[in-house]
Order: sequence, then structure tokens, then C-alpha cells
Amino acid sequence: MEKKKIIEQLHPLERKVLPLLDKFTFLEELISHSGLKDVEVMRALQWLENKKIIQLRENPKNMVSLDKNGLEYLKKGLPEKRFLDVLKDHTLTLGQLSQKSGLSTEELNACLGSLRKKAAILITKEKNELVVKPLPPASKLREKGFLEEKLLHKTFPLEADSLLPEEKYALDMLKDRKGILKIELKKSRQAELTALGKELIRQGVQMGNVIDRLTPQMLRDESWKGKSFRHYDVSINVPQITGAKKQLYRRYLDDVRSKFLSLGFMEMSGPLVETDFWDMDALFMPQFHSARDIHSAYYIKEPSYGEVDNALLKKVKAAHENGFATGSKGWQYSFDSKQTRRLLLRTQGTALSARMLASESLKIPGKYFAIARCFRPDVVDATHAVDFNQVEGIVVEEGLDFRHLKGLLQLFAEEFAETDQIKITPAYFPFTEPSAELHAKHPELGWIELGGSGIFRPELVKPLLGKHMSVLAWGIGIDRLAMFKLGLNDIRQLFSQDLNLLREAKVL
Amino acid sequence: MPTITFSLKDLQNLVGKKLSIEEVETYAHYGKGDLESYTQETDEIKIDFGDTNLPYLWSVEGFARLVRLILGKQKGIPVLQVNKSDYTIQVDSSVLKVRPFIDAFVAKGRSVDDYMIKQIVQLQEKLCDNYGRRRQKVAIGVYQCHKINFPVHYTATSPESVKFTPLDFKKEMTQQEILEDHPKGKEFSWILEGHTKYPLLLDHEHTVLSFPPIINSEETGRVKEGDSELFIEVTGIDDGAVHLAANIMAQALFERGFSIYEVVIAYPTKEIHTPLLFNDTIKMDSNQVRSVLGLELSSAETKKLLAKAGYNLKGDTVIIPPYRKDILHFVDVIEDIAIMYDYNKIPTKPLENYTIGSTFPLIKIIDRCRELLIGLGYQEMMSPILTNVHTMNRKMIREDSKTLEILNYMSETYSAVRSWLIPLLLDTLSKNKHRDYPQKIFEQGLISLKNKGGIADQERLAVITIHETANYTEMRQLLDYIMKMLKLEYTIEELEHPSFIRGRSGKVIVKDKEVALLGEIHPQVIRNFNLELPAVACELNISELSKELI
Repeated sequence: MEKKKIIEQLHPLERKVLPLLDKFTFLEELISHSGLKDVEVMRALQWLENKKIIQLRENPKNMVSLDKNGLEYLKKGLPEKRFLDVLKDHTLTLGQLSQKSGLSTEELNACLGSLRKKAAILITKEKNELVVKPLPPASKLREKGFLEEKLLHKTFPLEADSLLPEEKYALDMLKDRKGILKIELKKSRQAELTALGKELIRQGVQMGNVIDRLTPQMLRDESWKGKSFRHYDVSINVPQITGAKKQLYRRYLDDVRSKFLSLGFMEMSGPLVETDFWDMDALFMPQFHSARDIHSAYYIKEPSYGEVDNALLKKVKAAHENGFATGSKGWQYSFDSKQTRRLLLRTQGTALSARMLASESLKIPGKYFAIARCFRPDVVDATHAVDFNQVEGIVVEEGLDFRHLKGLLQLFAEEFAETDQIKITPAYFPFTEPSAELHAKHPELGWIELGGSGIFRPELVKPLLGKHMSVLAWGIGIDRLAMFKLGLNDIRQLFSQDLNLLREAKVL
Repeated sequence: MPTITFSLKDLQNLVGKKLSIEEVETYAHYGKGDLESYTQETDEIKIDFGDTNLPYLWSVEGFARLVRLILGKQKGIPVLQVNKSDYTIQVDSSVLKVRPFIDAFVAKGRSVDDYMIKQIVQLQEKLCDNYGRRRQKVAIGVYQCHKINFPVHYTATSPESVKFTPLDFKKEMTQQEILEDHPKGKEFSWILEGHTKYPLLLDHEHTVLSFPPIINSEETGRVKEGDSELFIEVTGIDDGAVHLAANIMAQALFERGFSIYEVVIAYPTKEIHTPLLFNDTIKMDSNQVRSVLGLELSSAETKKLLAKAGYNLKGDTVIIPPYRKDILHFVDVIEDIAIMYDYNKIPTKPLENYTIGSTFPLIKIIDRCRELLIGLGYQEMMSPILTNVHTMNRKMIREDSKTLEILNYMSETYSAVRSWLIPLLLDTLSKNKHRDYPQKIFEQGLISLKNKGGIADQERLAVITIHETANYTEMRQLLDYIMKMLKLEYTIEELEHPSFIRGRSGKVIVKDKEVALLGEIHPQVIRNFNLELPAVACELNISELSKELI
């Protein structure tokens, strides 16, 4: 980058710190001479380093400072000095020394060790008691003072490596004694100008006519005129922000809804808690069907029975028992009119199609869809949810046949799997005949099972609609499709409670 | 859905043709089945059959029959030759009240090996478990025929009167003891609940064959490798189902190479010969074929397709094979015609009628509210509708009788229907304690609760924020803003609700109707969710509030 451009882009903090680097290199020095806060200097140094104007180095140093006892001895004198001041040239027992000096046992022990090392005292034992007698170096020490004490009088903190030999000796003597000195490994930062940095300083980084921040004042008094603005490095990384948005799965379902609306479908809705009647009986599923086991639906504890329209119930009962004049022989069993009123959580979206067929608001021709929350007992894991969505619907029109069903499936494959490559295989659903399963070749995912479909059985249509008509019925496994689209591999993530996942979720 | 296991080699032998695994997969689709797996080392195929009304496919013999039909090696209803015999079962009137129907036959002429026994047991078990509704409707027993002295007696006896050694046991037990102590007895005793006499099958020498539908006897009821004469009986409470199961078994064993001998069933008032090869019929309806499939098929084509699907056509009468009882309506036949024609060869036609898409006015209000909240910086959430009373009520320190509970839940976690949304938002907050604060979230969705003896669904909108200075004013401002944007006039009255701090919560009234509540969350509730900052929430009943708008 051109030097001029670099200078133009310098931040005010950088402008303050950079010239100082000519004279100072240590972070501490830069802080004290710039008048900036340490974080500000650090930030400026890092930016400068990123631009290769300086090089930062970290020098590990042993820094010495006074600890609690050290501070105390600075005032009162070292214990060994106080020891010798009490001893003078007498011979005293340890007990006497302790009493007169006021030193603790620990301090006394330290004195004995230190003074014996310096050959300043002689320790003997008389009548089970330690007796201390001064030796010639003692008086010398009392006159000239201790090297250790001189060390305490230095200005702290200081760098261990910068000490004179006698100071180093004193440090060695004191460092293992309790609470006198603290020695810590500290990293001191040092900045050195690179060739580029030196060049920049030579050119001068202070630019009087550069505006850093546009202020309201400048706008009012037009003082910005004729000046240039400090250039930013527009490509630099900035801290992340996140915003609130729609829940990812809910957004997907919103898209599904608008898709169906744009295809001319009308939305259906119905209660979460259904009767056996609408959930299964009206769909011509026999009451002894294996999908009717107590393990296949969640039943409500209280209230346990709901209301069913009697006239409709009679017709559905007849369809089960004898086919209700549809040409069917029916399931030929005795329909239980009490069981049909049991309340359960909707197990399939087809219940809504059944309600629609029986509704006075049904339009013919009409295309219908529902995004239905459904419930089935299961063990919850990465691929099984007990609480899931089904997108289901019907197309009601005179004269529809299997070819139209295929046309509809083709449309779904194009709209939901972005492909016209489909495979339709025979399938079984209790309420459609013929029944077909739709497989589509997704451009990225390969062959996927998109959903089920079929033509509603006459035994279902006639009791609900009052007459025979071809009704195309279909359902799309929307949860699985959503997982594919949203890049999730655990079905539980559709209802994720993780704010991070929701914040990071992409919108396309 | 029943999954059956067999070897590819066996299938090829039964079909009479070498088959690739891809071909097997395709043919499985014809039977509404999915190839689950093929293991090359063991040559083992698993197919999952989806249609619970087609039990004849639950054996390799049945599937091979389908493949032969598709390949044209078999046309129409296959032969099942039943030989006359004197084998008889005397049915005592005592059993008619308990388990009134029995079919039986004898299969001779092939010696069974381990694989074949497994195949027979597989079909027997699938028929009993799935089609037979866990043996209640249909149960099947297979015996070594040479050990039986005919005639056999099918009777009912009091639970303590007869003793025999049940299969897998070493000691003699009464029927009562079997129901109490034998694993099969414990598993299936529910079928005989309420009966004072239990079914028993014994031969002319009073040797017990079995205690249907519970367990065979150790003496005769165990088929061993090398056996070449099998006695098979089917009992049940639905005569149609019993005949069907017997026919399916007989047809499979016949095609396996056994000779089938009838058994005469002597009921107190009538006598039948089983297997009873009923051939149900249904009237051919070409117009309906045309109107359902949109195909113009000549009568020759139709006849060919019917034969391929295993039906016979006599005049305009379609004859249904004796191993099928799933044809209720002619549409069932039409589906078989379509399958044999091949779904993928049927032309595709677009829907032509013009219809206008539409949704509910409520959806618009809901979407506007969501938009407002996102604009205010609230992240949208979506939770399961299933929850539990602990979260809904106990953690919220409230008493409530409106929450709907599930009778037969599998896990306590999902044992109730959500009756409000704020607890779910608190639960979400409790899972995000290590994320940055303030946290602002909302959820819009359905709840359901008991209402005036019935049940009512409501669309709700709940909002919560949690941070060091979260307070009533903040939520009140939010509520004011939403109500203003929806052009709704309202008043707020003090609310007494245990989940909120007293004196810092209110209910929102629109035209005398309570449409929302808001307030600072009670500190005990905050602690119950293991949270450590003040939180303030509101919950709107969109269904109620929209009545003023729509």
C-alpha cells in the first residue's frame, strides 16, 4: 500500500502513539507519555502491527516487589538487624533474645540461620537451652548494615535481571524467606519500528486537515469544507452483531403456506384435540385396525369424550358396517358409537380433509391444504418426534382420475423438491384406493420420499359429502423436507431452544 | 408393518428364475413393500410390507407367487389341490362361547429342514401378531401329525381340571397355572379375561395338543427337522379371518411342495371341510376402471391385467383368490389393475380448473404481530405443543385445572398439552444462561385447554425479556405499541396471578373481554427455572382479540 494512503487511514490513536515510538519502546512508557489508557495504546499498537508499521515483542521478565513482611521490615528493619541490636556483645540465651527483640519464633529461626551463614554468631547448648554469642563480623554488620536491607530500600517493582551482583546476592538470601519478596514472571510488551514505520515517522503522521469524525457542529458551520476525511481500512474485520428474526422452521412453514396459496389452494384448519370419529372413523379406518391401538395415539384424560354430529355418525357407521350403498361391502363389524367419541390428539392431517369434505363451505372445484400439527406416541430421538407437522390436503372436482393425481404429484415435486424426475410407487393408506407414494430426485439429495397420495375411497366420500366424487388426497412429509432444506440432522432442532442456533440460522 | 426375512436363493427356486436384487426391490413395490436390506454373505433379504390388509404376502411363498404373476409364470388364481381325508375335529359346544371357530389341515410329503421351519414359524407369527390382532382374532398351531390320534376334540374346560406340559417347560401345569406362570401365558392371558372355561385341543387318547390361543403342548406341539407330516390348526373369534389364515398357510405349504389334506370340522350343528376355498366375487365394472384410472383398456387388456394381479374373470364376474379378503369395493380391484399396468406408465394430466388460494383473516393478524415483535428485536421461538403439568403449573407456582393431560403418555416430558406459552419461554431462557443478555424472545402458537366442559384451542402470543433491569414499564410499552398498531382500545386492571409479582401485573381488557396479561415474573418462578435475572412477560390471546378486528 502506498505510504500516503497508510497515513490517511491512521486512526487518531495510532497517530498519537506512532510518533512516540521514535523514543520509547516499552508499553508502560508509551502509556505514560501518550496520556492514553492502556487499552487504547494496546489497540493502537495492534493496528500498527497489522499494518506492518511496528513489530511487537513480548519479553518475559522476573519482576520483584515487596511482600507483606518486606514492607514491614522496610519500616522496622530486618529481623537479623534487630537481633544483633539486642545481642550487642553479650552472650544471651534464645529465650532472652526472644523476649527482648519481640521477634517471632519463625523470625528467630531465620535470624539464626542467616547470621550463622555469615559467621556472625556462635550457637551453643547449655543446660538444654540454646545460647548465642556474637562473633567479630557481627559488629561489622551492625556498623555497615545488611546487603539485604539495602535491597529492601530500592524502588519496586524491579527487574531481577537488572540487579547488581551484591543485590542479586541479597535477593537470593531473601527470596525463600516467608512473605518478604514477591517474584513474578511478567511479560512486558515492546514495540519496535519497522523500516516502514521509520519512514512514516520521517514523513510525519500528523495531518492537520484530516477529519476523523464528522460532528453536527462541522455540518452547521461547514468547517468540513476543504478538508479530507481519515480513510478507513474498509476491508478490516469488525465485531459481529445478530438481529432478531423469524424462527427458522416457522419461516419455512410460512414459505410453504405462500407456495400453496400461490398454487390456488385454500387453507383448512381444525382442532388439536379430535374425536376418534374425525381422526380415523370418518376416514374409513376400521375400529379394529392396528393403527387404532392405544399405543398409536395420545388419548385425553379428562374430558375423555367429545361431541359428534349424529346424522353424520349414522352414515359413517353404515359405511363401516355395510358400505353405505357405495357398492362396498364395508368392514362387516359392529361399529362402536361410543368409542368414536373418544378424544385424542390429532394423529394425522387427513382429519382436516375429512372435516372439509363434510363442511358446508366446501367449494367444488376446490383445492385445499392444511399445515397440521399432529401427535403420535413414540420414543423421541434424532429422527422421531411425538409432535410434528403434516402438510395435507385434497382436490375436489368432478371427473378427476389417477392421471390428475400424477399431475398433482408432478407439481409438488417441481415446487418442493425442484425436480421433474419422479417415481410413483404403489402404497397403502387406509383411506385411499388407489394409493401412491411419491419419490422425487432432488438435485442435491438424490431420491427422497416426498409424500403419500391417493384417491379417497368411496366409503369415505359418500357419507361426508353426501354423494360420490373423485377426491384426490395427498400429504407431504414436511418435517423431513424442512430438515433437508435447513441443513438440520436432528428433528428436535426444528423446535430448537438454542438461541445461538436460531441467531446463526441463515435466511436463504 | 410386517417385515419378512428369507434367502434370495429360496425366492429364486420358488419363482423359477434367477433374480437380481434390483428386480426384487421393484417387485416388492408391486406388493407395496420396501426392500429393507440384502446381506450378501448370508443371502438374506428383508422386505417390509406396508399393507396390513394383504397378509398373504408375509411369507416368501406368497411373495414368490406375486413375482410369478408379474413375470407371467402364473396367471390368475393359483391351484390349491386339497385331498379328501377322514381327519376330523369334533367341536364341543362348550368352546363356542369362548373361541368358536377352528380350521385345520394336514400337510404331508416333504421333510422340513431348519430353514423351512423358520419360514413356517415366520408366517404363523406374522399372521397371529398382526392380522390376528396379537392372537385374539386368529391364532395358529403347528404339530407333528404322526403323534396325534384322530379324531381331535376342540373343547373348553375349567382352568384347573386338565394338566399338561406346555412347550419349553418340563413340568405339567393346569391352564390356570400356565396363564399365571408361563411367559406366553402371561403375555396373552388378556385374551381370555372374563371367561370361566378355557379352550383346549386334545386327541382321542386325551393327549393335550394345545391350549389355544396360548401355548402348544411339549408332547405334540413342536415341529422338528426331518418331520414330514404336519397338522395345522387355526382358531379364532371371526370365522372369515380363521378361514383366510388357514388358506394362506395351506397355499404357502402347497406351493412349497406339500400335499394338503382336508380336515373335517364337526360343529354341533354343522360340518365343514377345511381349508375352505371360498372364492369371493365382485362384478367387473369397465366404466369405473376408466373413470378412476383415466385409461381406455380393451376387455382383453383388462382380462390380462386381472390375471396378472391373480384374479380370474368369468364373464363379467371377477373371482377373488381364497387367500384374499381385502376386496371391499371394486376400487380395490382397480388399484391392482393399475399396479399391474404400472403406475409410471399411466399418463400425467395437469389440473385445469382455476381456483383462488386463500387463508384465514387470523393468519394476517398473527403475521402482523410477529412482524412487530421482530422489529422490536425479539427473536421468534417455536416449541412443541406437548409439555407437562410440572412446567405449565408447578414451576409457575399456580394451581390450574384447565390443562389437558394425556391418559397414555410414554414419557412424563410429553404428558400434557400446553395451556399457555410463557412457561415454555422461561424454559428456553433457562437453556440459554450462558448467552449474552438482555435476551428477548417470543412465540406465537396454538394452545388448548378445558373450557366449559369441552375443549378450546386458542392462538396465543407470548413475549418475554430477561436482563438486570427488566421491569413492568418495558413490557407495558411493548403492549401499548402492539395494541396501538392493531388499532385496539383497551384498559388495564390489576391482576392477581401467582406467577407474577403482586402489584406489578395486569390484565388487558378490550370491550369487557380479557385479551392479555402482563407482569414481572415472580422471583420464585425465576428461581424454579434456575434463572438469575429479573424477567417480565406478557401473553396475548390472539383468537379473542381478533374478534374485535375481523
